[in-house]
Amino acid sequence: MKSILKLIRRFTGILLVSSILIIILNIVVAAKIASKQTGGRSPWTTAVETAEGLQKTENGYILSEDRMEELKRENIWAIYIDNDTHKVLWHTENLPAEIPMEYSISEIAFLTRGYVKDYPTFTGGAEGGLVVLGYPKDRYWKEMYPSWDYDFIAHLPRTILAMVGCNIALIFLIYVVTNAGLLKSVRPIAEGIQALPTGNPVHVRERGVLSDLASKVNQTSQVLQSQKYQLKKKETARANWIAGVSHDIRTPLSMVMGYAGQLEQDSHLTEKERNKAGAILKQSKRIKNLINDLNLASKLEYNMQPVKTSKENAVALVRQVVVDFINMDIENCYPIKWLTEDTFGRCIVSADKELLKRAVCNLIQNCINHNEEGCTIYVSVTEEQGKCVICVEDDGIGVSDEQIKKLNHAPHYMVCDENITTQRHGLGLLIVKQVMVSHKGETIIGHSSYGGFGVKLVLPVEPTVS
Amino acid sequence: MMENEYLKKKRILIVDDEQELLDMVVSILEENGFFNVRTAGNVKEAVTIADEFCPELAVLDVMLPDGDGFSLMKQLKSKADYPVLFLTACGEEEDKFKGFGLGADDYVVKPFLPKELIFRIMAILRRSYKEENPLVKLKDSEVDFERAEVIKNGEHIALTAKEFTLLSVLCRNAGRIVTIDVLCEAAWGDNPYGYENSLMAHVRRIREKIEKNPSKPVSLITVKGLGYKLVIEENRNE
Repeated sequence: MKSILKLIRRFTGILLVSSILIIILNIVVAAKIASKQTGGRSPWTTAVETAEGLQKTENGYILSEDRMEELKRENIWAIYIDNDTHKVLWHTENLPAEIPMEYSISEIAFLTRGYVKDYPTFTGGAEGGLVVLGYPKDRYWKEMYPSWDYDFIAHLPRTILAMVGCNIALIFLIYVVTNAGLLKSVRPIAEGIQALPTGNPVHVRERGVLSDLASKVNQTSQVLQSQKYQLKKKETARANWIAGVSHDIRTPLSMVMGYAGQLEQDSHLTEKERNKAGAILKQSKRIKNLINDLNLASKLEYNMQPVKTSKENAVALVRQVVVDFINMDIENCYPIKWLTEDTFGRCIVSADKELLKRAVCNLIQNCINHNEEGCTIYVSVTEEQGKCVICVEDDGIGVSDEQIKKLNHAPHYMVCDENITTQRHGLGLLIVKQVMVSHKGETIIGHSSYGGFGVKLVLPVEPTVS
Repeated sequence: MMENEYLKKKRILIVDDEQELLDMVVSILEENGFFNVRTAGNVKEAVTIADEFCPELAVLDVMLPDGDGFSLMKQLKSKADYPVLFLTACGEEEDKFKGFGLGADDYVVKPFLPKELIFRIMAILRRSYKEENPLVKLKDSEVDFERAEVIKNGEHIALTAKEFTLLSVLCRNAGRIVTIDVLCEAAWGDNPYGYENSLMAHVRRIREKIEKNPSKPVSLITVKGLGYKLVIEENRNE
């Protein structure tokens, strides 16, 4: 809508400026043409000057040389009419024969206002008489009849301004009326185009002068909707496929794990046989974890996992995860050190409890998975500059700088749109990253200060009401 | 688990449409001393068997050929109230919440470890069917939850309500660490923050009642920064 208003303002501005420019240009051009065509001095001035230049001598009337030259050059004839006798007492040599040599008062009045035998005439008062100049017939068009009311002349500037104003208003009105239809057609199209990026369906009425454009906007919206639907369908199908496969694998895997578990405990078997059963069980657990991770990762990736956030105490949440691991009796190989200050008992974050637990769980499980020889795991929760920092580190084998760079920046194979030939790693860290993204948090992967691998989860702290 | 022998006599009904899985679960249960086990492959069969067998625990799958486990649970519980454990491949949160919402006692997602299943079944049975003499033996004393008292050196010492609550939670999770937060929540409700010092005071008083030397506890152990663990004598014999 802003752009429509801007468009109207710009059009109106251009219209007003161009109207004013046209008027000024017209005046200037008209003045220029008039001054060029009238050829310098006014004929009235010439007549007055000629009258002044006519001298009465003993031998009659004499006109100064330069005046005479000018009259000849311009092909102007001149006569001098005596005041008393109304007869022509002097004239130039080029006086046409049809010009009368005596005039009545009414004829003088007429020739002053108009013509003598179609010659445009101009008068100038001389001593004791009147000098009349006759210009060539096609030189001037005379119109001496108009006369104006004094008030009209007195108010002329104001009248002209008002007229100019009225003209501009009239032009503007005509513009608005003629363009209202166009603008009416443009507005829904502009609104439609503005609504396209929101991803919602757009429908513009296809009528008016811009119906073709409206039709194209509607087609674009349909194409976008169709693409969106297809993409969603594809993503849902992919996530459902993964969920379906995960579901279908669960029952047969239960049997593998169940019997392998029984065989591992079976005292009738030899130790070697029990070890084999143990290996089957161990690998089955890996498959179990993988299908769980795969399912969650695909759901998080395709936004099919609802993230139900509530205010959670991160300290309590992480403490529970740590205790669950310790209770799983892994302490022999993987002791967990809880490094959170005893006095720091609460750090409220907005989180999906289960997902955040899963993220922390994955980090601890990661330490275990990658350190078969055992390691100490260090877990802490701190608050730094308004952020809740959950830190899971170990003193295990760690990873190289290059691997850390890859883990921090390279996309996981599951969400990578390029063919990759490099070694693929598990889904644990991908889920952690996805969970943090869905919580507007940050995952920082690096070296541990204890010599191994370390990950920091940074979440915004929720303000608490004391 | 000798003290829980009576629990192994309980009648257990297992319902799943996979015969091989049923066979396996039965073999796991039998191997662990459960001999009163019946199986059913669908809802209809399950209802018929339940009527004559009168199970004391049902282990149900969610997806069954002629119905779903949730409605089967409702049907079974409408006749007799006994604990139900779901053992299913449906691992979605909504399914879990639905199961628990309808009154399930536990929800195990396949695949599972035999040990895990046995532990969960035992935990449900322990909660649901208490022994006639439910004395919990500690190193230097015994706790009688029926009477809410501790018996130490023949002397009967009463437990306060908070001490009883805390000891119950610890006892239900005997041998496992229970976090400070879980204990505070059990004793003081949903907003347990700020009760850590009170918890310490109560733990001290419990120790005075159950331990020989409260300053060197052997039954109620502190796990620094995390929580407390109750060590029960029978567990040591397992």
